[in-house]
Formats: sequence, structure tokens, C-alpha cells
Amino acid sequence: MSLFGASIRRKEDPRLLRGDGRYLSDIKLHGMVHAVFVRSPHAHAHVRGIDSSAAVADPRVVCVLTADDFPPGLPPLPCIDAEETTKPFNQPILASDKVRFVGEPVALVIVEGDRYIAEDIAGLVDVDYEPLPAVSTAEAALAPDAPLVHFESNVVDVLEYSVGDASSALAAAPHTLSERFITQRYAGTPLETRGVIVEWDEARHGITMWSSTQVPHSLKATLVGYLGLPENAVRVIAPDVGGAFGVKLQPYPEEVILGLAAERVGRPIKWVEDRYEHFLASTHGREQYHDVEVGYDDDGRILAIHDHAVTNTGAYLQRLTLVEPFIGVSMLSGPYVIEHQQLVSTVVMTNTTPLNPFRGVGHVQAAFTMERIIDLIAAAVGIDPGEVRKRNMFSADVFPLHRGIGNVLAGEIIYDSGDYQECLSRALATAEWDEFRREQESARADGRYLGIGIGFFVEETGLGPYESGRVRVEPSGQVIVFTGACSSGQGHDTVLAQITADELGVGFDDVVVVHGDTDLVASGVGTYASRSAPIGGTAVRNAAGSIKEQAIQIAAEMLEASPQDLELADGEVRVKGSPASSVSLAQVAGRVAPGQPLPLGVDSYTLDATDIYHPPTNTFSYGCHVATVEVDIDTGVVTLLRHVVVNDSGTLINPLLVDGQVQGGVALGIGGALLEEIAYGDDGQPLNANFMDYLVPAIGNMPEMVVEHMTVPTPLNADGMKGAGEGGAVGAPAAIANAVADAILPLGAKITETPLGPETVYRALQDAS
Amino acid sequence: MSDHAVTINVNGVERSNLVPARLTLADFLRERLDLTATHLACEHGVCGACTVLIDGETARACLLLTVQADGREVTTLEGLTEGDELGPIEQAFWAKHGMQCGFCTPGFVLTIAELLDDNPNPSREEIIEGLGGNLCRCTGYVKIVEAVEEAVTLRGGGA
Amino acid sequence: MKPPDFDYVAPTSVDGAIKALGSDSEAKVLAGGQSLIPLLAFRLAGPSLLVDLARVDGLDHITDQGDRLVIGAMTRQRRVERDPLVANRCPLLAESLRHVGHPQIRSQGTIGGSVAHADPAAELPGVVLALGGRVHVTGPAGDRTIESEELFQGFLSTSIADGEILTAVEVPASGPRTGWSVVEVARRPGDYALCGALCQLQLDDAGAVMGVHLGLIGVGDRPMRAHAVEAAVLAGANPADAAELAPDGLSPSSDVHASSDYRLHLATVTSRRALTQALERAA
Repeated sequence: MSLFGASIRRKEDPRLLRGDGRYLSDIKLHGMVHAVFVRSPHAHAHVRGIDSSAAVADPRVVCVLTADDFPPGLPPLPCIDAEETTKPFNQPILASDKVRFVGEPVALVIVEGDRYIAEDIAGLVDVDYEPLPAVSTAEAALAPDAPLVHFESNVVDVLEYSVGDASSALAAAPHTLSERFITQRYAGTPLETRGVIVEWDEARHGITMWSSTQVPHSLKATLVGYLGLPENAVRVIAPDVGGAFGVKLQPYPEEVILGLAAERVGRPIKWVEDRYEHFLASTHGREQYHDVEVGYDDDGRILAIHDHAVTNTGAYLQRLTLVEPFIGVSMLSGPYVIEHQQLVSTVVMTNTTPLNPFRGVGHVQAAFTMERIIDLIAAAVGIDPGEVRKRNMFSADVFPLHRGIGNVLAGEIIYDSGDYQECLSRALATAEWDEFRREQESARADGRYLGIGIGFFVEETGLGPYESGRVRVEPSGQVIVFTGACSSGQGHDTVLAQITADELGVGFDDVVVVHGDTDLVASGVGTYASRSAPIGGTAVRNAAGSIKEQAIQIAAEMLEASPQDLELADGEVRVKGSPASSVSLAQVAGRVAPGQPLPLGVDSYTLDATDIYHPPTNTFSYGCHVATVEVDIDTGVVTLLRHVVVNDSGTLINPLLVDGQVQGGVALGIGGALLEEIAYGDDGQPLNANFMDYLVPAIGNMPEMVVEHMTVPTPLNADGMKGAGEGGAVGAPAAIANAVADAILPLGAKITETPLGPETVYRALQDAS
Repeated sequence: MSDHAVTINVNGVERSNLVPARLTLADFLRERLDLTATHLACEHGVCGACTVLIDGETARACLLLTVQADGREVTTLEGLTEGDELGPIEQAFWAKHGMQCGFCTPGFVLTIAELLDDNPNPSREEIIEGLGGNLCRCTGYVKIVEAVEEAVTLRGGGA
Repeated sequence: MKPPDFDYVAPTSVDGAIKALGSDSEAKVLAGGQSLIPLLAFRLAGPSLLVDLARVDGLDHITDQGDRLVIGAMTRQRRVERDPLVANRCPLLAESLRHVGHPQIRSQGTIGGSVAHADPAAELPGVVLALGGRVHVTGPAGDRTIESEELFQGFLSTSIADGEILTAVEVPASGPRTGWSVVEVARRPGDYALCGALCQLQLDDAGAVMGVHLGLIGVGDRPMRAHAVEAAVLAGANPADAAELAPDGLSPSSDVHASSDYRLHLATVTSRRALTQALERAA
């Protein structure tokens, strides 16, 4: 059996299961000192002064650093997807005159000893704040007399996209519906928080930084810029990363500040974010509402849509702040033919922790909004929700499909491949839709309220600009793969070894995968946007392909044959048609080991190839979720019964791992649908910045889960791979919300927001009665 | 404040140490003994990543002071493995893809160790109730439940 | 999130513990620590001394006193949960314990620690109140008992005086034809309930309710006893009608998890369900 496509056990696991993982907080260096950040307790305040004299007086203090201790004129953190119209509301690396959210760093305390002592001493730093009025919701920030988070306006940008003529089509539509759909603020909350160790390296007059990050190369580039060091003086290492989900996909102020402090301190510095800090200082996501007006006909066909989305993006632009508002509207129509669309996305600043993409960015809100719209139309026209979807869906022969919308970062949206109708049909069959309807009816007769709901989504995955893959065959025949992608638990070591072993015909155990070290991996982008398999995997496939060519070139002399008569298979180069005439890959690699003349026509003492793969456009995965629920109408409590997913991520390298990605995504989606919300008071004070009150789903919240795969390969890469990491999180909230709405439809209750906590559902029932 | 002398049997070895009263057992294991499989993910007793066995029962190492463990027996993930050989629960996690980033895994393995010691052949409901105090952000728990069922078989407890 | 500095002492006798507690006005009792240590981690508490009761002799026991069960303050919740005597003689307590956090918490958490912490959403204070139990305390002035109606004074506040130590919790043992029920609405299994009803009742030979205890948690600054509901049940009201009185005298606050109104509504629903189940079990 081919290794590619096989559900094999992960390379990573035995080490982690023995307790030999090496996460950031596990690393200790000789002479290490410990850092904590002094953070703003105010949502909005002037900083009138910082008195660190009491702290500095403690003999255990190495230093206390504030903005004044760094060179003036350091630029704020970049927002790389800013449009020309985007106002420059970027985050200073350390607050100086003003703080704009609770948790914004204002000083760095470094001590001898441990984190306990560092926290003691941080408490001695006296910051003189003059509190200012704050805003925490987009609606409050948009009010005419709202306090300004920055200057001029709290609107940092308005994105507008248009296809067809929505206004005329809406005016002419037989029916319209208008509604607001609200998706709350929630966050990735990986089990491992962020953390940094930085060491000044006198030998290269630069730094080595270990960071729990998804993007070591971006972090290196950022540090090179801020520190003014040559590129060869900065090394970034991502050790084992305990989950990320997008929360670790940008360079953060803490990384820059610690990088800047390294030379001054001259000893290794360690900072590990605690859970409370994580809620304040690591990026959040989602918070977005959509005001929609939809025109449709008696057959349930959607004729036009006008969507005005508003995103509360927090206090500062982050690296990819505009992705949430862009995707939220641009992917609204998902799998559906909607000829006329007018899409406006307003991005609003408030005194809250900044937003940046996390697992499912923008797609979650888009799918929730669109899928709820479809069900409302279905109810209005009295047609089955599955049938209304079919009537509006693209057929399988439309690809490539240009949707006429694009942005700076994501490029033009061109759907590449798929069969949406088939996916829907399979999901409905697996969920036993008709049988459930019968069960639902008899349950209602007993006063029990069951519901079933569909969440269909299309998701932009496999984003560029590029990823690197390098394959090197050692003289002994073993293989090392270097990738610019960087694992945070997905299983890169395993799947990239599967690709390499498949291409070279070597054993899975003969391949070692290296990632997350900028000294070892020359270039890379990182892991986010469901890109590592389609982009990183393709780069490795291509590099291994080059190895194949090199090996054949080398073997030609060894086998006294012409290269075109040779093939590489099963770990050996052999003459086509006469397999007895062969040399092993190890022999080939040994033939170019140094210390001997090179074979004729070969000019390098290595068997080593690199590919930098730039995808032509992004690839679009999709899937259909069907959730069934029971609603306790006395309390509003929702119990999940079953969750079916039919997913198309193209060709699968390792179905077992893709199942895991989908199931984990669904769990995160369940969190968003029912449990998770980062809450702020009107004054910008966080209300649930801990794991007791912020409700990550537990095992008891999970329904029975069924995951099936469709594999319509993308034409955009040789293996036909599309992204798989996020779709689970995208489809689930829509499906669950629709199921809840379906359960209580006979009572006239309306569901337009998540999370569907018991009180929210209870209120909806009360409002209906 | 003065340090306190403690002697704790950790993974079968008596470890004597002087510790401040406020040092949590989790930090003692990680920082003093370099037993870093005990992970800290919330430090307020919710997530279960720091689960260890104390006198054979699971406990959260972030919710215990080292001084409270004086004279007691502590088992961490490292103590379940002899040499390179994985135990049945760990093998089951590997076989069933019961882990992704691995950060919550040690806490799950120890919780399952106790669960199966108490109840060698738990029902699915009993598994779900038994694992309610451990959070995983990656897997959606599906394959963790499958791993427990596999571990039951590997331990010879399957019916 | 590391605790602030403090000192620690682990006396072996009640007298020793009282002396230690009296030696420092900022001292706090450590009785398992499953609620206290999170407060320390967030630096929401800053004691200068922790007096650990774990090594005090005589505080770890479950004693059958005929019509009462006396449980030593330092008896771990897990032990009580699994104790056949408790299951038999105080089924409400046994069942409530399954809702207290998770096994990892119950293995270290103690009965006395939870009762003295007096969290208004916690099950154990609710059970002691519902059943009309009492606690034994010892202080510099000697021993005394505090009836549960007098014990809970407000949010995380009890009438146990500074310098006193809770040594045992006493609950009435149940008689024949007893039914019980714990009904909670919680966002996740094991979380503090938005509202919970803890009910134990007893039927007479004719099948009429001769005694009923109903405690409500999560609906105020302390555990509450639903006297009006109890009176209605004794007067013959059915569970649905009686439960309508559950909100009487309650004024829960609103927080990030639930509004005051919704908690009041849940008080009715959980009371009704708990009464119904307890009646079924008693029959």
C-alpha cells in the first residue's frame, strides 16, 4: 500500500507520550532570568508616569524597562493586510503615553529567581494612570459622541465589494427579509499559552529566540527589522507548540520587547504567558454582526443580498486584522449562486483586546449568517431546507469560478473544484434526515423538542504566498526534510514524511522532518490558513521530485544506462523493464559523498533539493455539517445529539489525521455555537478572563460525531490537496444554530446569534410567547 | 519566608528538597525535578493538564502546594513509562490518534490510568464522566474516547 | 499566576492548629486548598500564614451516630462520595458530591473545606443547609456547634469566628421511604451550577410527605433554603405548584453566566424537577 493516503500512526507521538516533549516552558538555559510584563488594568487611560524605583531597589531585580528605555521612533507593529484606506491605528510595542485595552503592556520586569519573584516585583511598579472613557462594543464605538480609541473616528476602514446590482434586484424581488445576525467574540485559547526565551549570542552578535509561534520566519523578519541586526544574526526556534489555532500567527509586542532587551540583559530571559494574561494579551477573533437584506422568490431562490457587516476589531490593528471583516462578507454567499451582492464591511476600534484571525476566520460568521438566511427562507416559502439549498447551489461544472471579489492579501476569490450538491446529499443521507423528521414529530407529541440543522460552508484555504520544502538524502540513504511550515500539533512530521517516502520510495521511518528553526530552514511562511498540506506538502513533493531526477542522473553512470531509461521506485534506481539492474538510493547518495570524483554530468557533492512553491491561487475546501439537538424549553438548555460532517479537503495524505482535524474543528465550533464568549463590561473590563468562566468545551459537551470525506482533487497542485484544518470550526456553529432554531420553530422562536447558552435560548422562547 | 524541608516519593524515588511554602507541586516537579511532562495550562485547577497521581489518586498539581505533598507518593507521566516501552494507555493514544499538540495528553493519560484501575471495563458514559475534568483543545475528544476503549483491550480488560 | 509569599505550618492537633491560627492575624486555614489555591494564584488572597489541617489527628472520619452522620472536616470528598454508609444514610450528600468539580478535585478537596469556604453555588454548603445540618467548631474559647441556618452569612462568609476551626460537619441521617434529588443547570458537567436544587424528602406510611428539605444554590450570596416551597409541599401541594414559590425571598445577582431573572426562573424549574424526582425515589 502506498504511504500517501494511509492512516498511519504519527511520528511525533511516542516522544510526547513518554513525556519527552520540549515545549517552550520546558526549556531552561544556564543563567536564565525571568520576565513578567506590567499590564494596563485600564481599558483606556493616559499614562502620566511610571515609578519603578521600589522595584529597582530589590536586589533580585535585573532591570525594569519602559518605553523610555528603548530607542525613540520604533515603529508600531505592522498590519500587513492594510488597505490604502486603512487608518494607521497600529500598536506601539510598549505603551508610552496612552493605553487602549486592559492587558496592554507598559513595562517589562526582569528578575533573578523565578516567575514567583517576578510577579512580586511587578506589583511594586507604580504606574500613574489617568482613566479615560472607554468603549467596548462596536455599537457604542459607532455612536456619534463615542470616546475615540485613537483619533478622528473609531472606524478604521470600510471595505466595499459589489457584484451585479443588488439595489435594483432587491427592489424587484417578490419577497425580502431583513435581519441582524450576531457572532460573538471568542478565541483559540490553545492549552499552551504563548512564551518566549531569548538569548544574546555574542558569537554572532545577535539573538536566538525560542517562541511558541506558528510563524518563526515572520518573527525573525520582524526582529531583524526592530533590532537593526543583519539577517544572519537572528535565529528563531519554535519548539514543540502546544496548540495555536491562529492565536500564535503573528509577531507580538512581547517578542519584540524581549528581543530588544536581550543584549542589554546579556543573559537568557524567559517569559511564559499565564492564562489570565493570555485572555488579555493574545488575540481574539470573530466579533462581527451582519445586517442583511435578502430578496428571494416563491421557489426559495435567492435573488440578491445586501450585507453590512460590522467587526469589533479591538484596540489596535494586528498583522492580519482585515481578514476577519474581508472574509466575513466576501465568503458570505458560500456555495450559492447569488447574482447580485452588495457587501459592506465596517471595521471598528474599541478598548478591547485586538482581533486577529483564528481557526475559521470570517468564514464562521459568513456561514452562520448565510445558513440561517436559507433556513428562514425555507420556513417562509414552506420548502425543505435541504431543497432550498440545492436550488441555490452551484453545480459541479462551474469550476473554476470567478466570484468577482478579492482583497490585498487573499487575492481574487476563484473557486477551484468541488461538488456541493453531492456533498449536501451525502450529508443528509448520513444524518438520516427523513428518519429524524419522523422522530422529531413523535417527540413533539411527547413535549420534547428535537431539531436538525444544516451548516454548509466553502472555505478559502492554502493561502500563499509560498512555502519552502527541502529534501536531503544522507550518504547512508536516510532522508531529512526541511519545511517552512511549522507544526502546532497537526502532524507535519508524519504527513511530510509520507509525501517524501511516497515520492522517493523510501521507508517512512527513514525520513526525519525538521521545522521551526530559521537557521536550519532557510525560508518559510508558517502554518495558518489551512496551508501546510497543499502548499508546504507540494513544496516537499516537488523537492523530492528533484531528488529523483538528481538520483537518476547520478545512477546513470553507475548503471551504465541513459537517464531516460531509469526510474526510481521502492528506494532504488533501476532500469525500466529490467528491475534486476538497480542501485539503492543509499548507493546513489554514497556516490556523491565527498572524497571521490563526481560522476560525469553531476556537479554537486550532495543529493539535496529545495523547492519554493508559490500557489497560483488559493484552493477552496467545503463541507456540509448536519447537527441534531434537543432543546429543553423550560431551561433553554441545548443538548447535542449527533453531528455529521461530509468534508472535501481534496486528496488526503493521512485520513486518520484529517479526521482528527475535522473533529477538533467541530469541537471548537461547538464552543462557538454554545459556550464560548469573551465578555467585557461597558467599561472595557474583561469579565471572564479565566478557564473557570470562559467555557472551553469539555468531553461531556460533545455529541456523537460522524466524519466522512469526499475527495474532489484541486487542479492547483499535483496531489490535489486542499486545506483541512479549519472547516470543522466553520460549519458547526451554523449547523447547530439551525438545529436549535428548527427545534423551537413550532414555538415561533427566532435564533439570530451565538453562543446559544441556555439563557439566550430561553429568552428567544420568551420573546416568542 | 523560610523554606520547608519536604521528602516526596516521586515515581518511586524519594526526593528531599527545601521549598518555599508557596511553590506549587506542579512547579516543584517541573522546575526542581525537571519532570516537565506535568504541563501548566491554566494554573487555576480547571484544565487538568497538570494531573498527577498522589497516593494513587488523580489530583491537580497546580492546586497543591509542595509542602502538602510531603511524605506522599507522586506519579507523573514519566513514571508510567519504563525505558522506551510505552504503556497500554500511551500505545492506545498512539494507535488511535488520541492526541494532536500533546499538551493535554499527560493529564489525560494519568486520569485514564486511574479510571481503568478503578473500573477496567468502563462504559462510554463512564469514560465521559471520568474524563470530564480534562480539557483538550485539539481533538474534539472523539479519538481520546476511542483510545480509552483501545487501552481497555490492550490491558486485557475488554469483555 | 503564582501565589504570593506566605508561611506554612502543618500542626498535628486541633490545639496546635488553633494556636497557630491565633499567632497571626493574617493566617488562613488550608483544608485541601481546592478553592483557596486558585484565589492565591490570582493573588486575590494574601495570607501571611497557611495553617494546614491535613495532618491534624481526628479530623478524617465518617461516624454513624444513629440519627446523625458526623463527618470529620478533613475527610476528603472522594472518600465521602464512595462511602457506603453515606450512600445509605445520606443519599443526598452522596449524590451531590458527584457534582462537585471533577474526580481530581474531589480527591484533595475536603468536606469541611468546602463548607467553610461557603461558595453560594457549591453543593456541600447547600446540602448542609438543606438538611438542617450543623457544624462543629473549636476555637480559643472551646467547642461550639453552629446550626446551618446560622452558618452562612454572605458571599464566602460564615459565622465561624477568626481563630476558630471547623472540625466536623453533621447531617441528619435519612429514614425509611426517603427520596432525594440533585438537579442542576450548568454549562458544562462539573461547573458551578447557574442554579441547583438539592432535595430530600420522606414519606409516611400512607405515602404523604412527612418531611421535605429543599436547598437552592447559585441564587444568592449564600446557599438558600426554600422554606415556602417546603411548606407548600407539606401542605399537600404538587411539585409544580409548590415550585412556583421557589423564587420567594431570593435576589440573585446577574453575572457573566446568567441574569438574576433567569436564575429565578431556574429556581422554579430545578425545584420542580428535584421534588418530582425525589418523590419518585421515595415512593
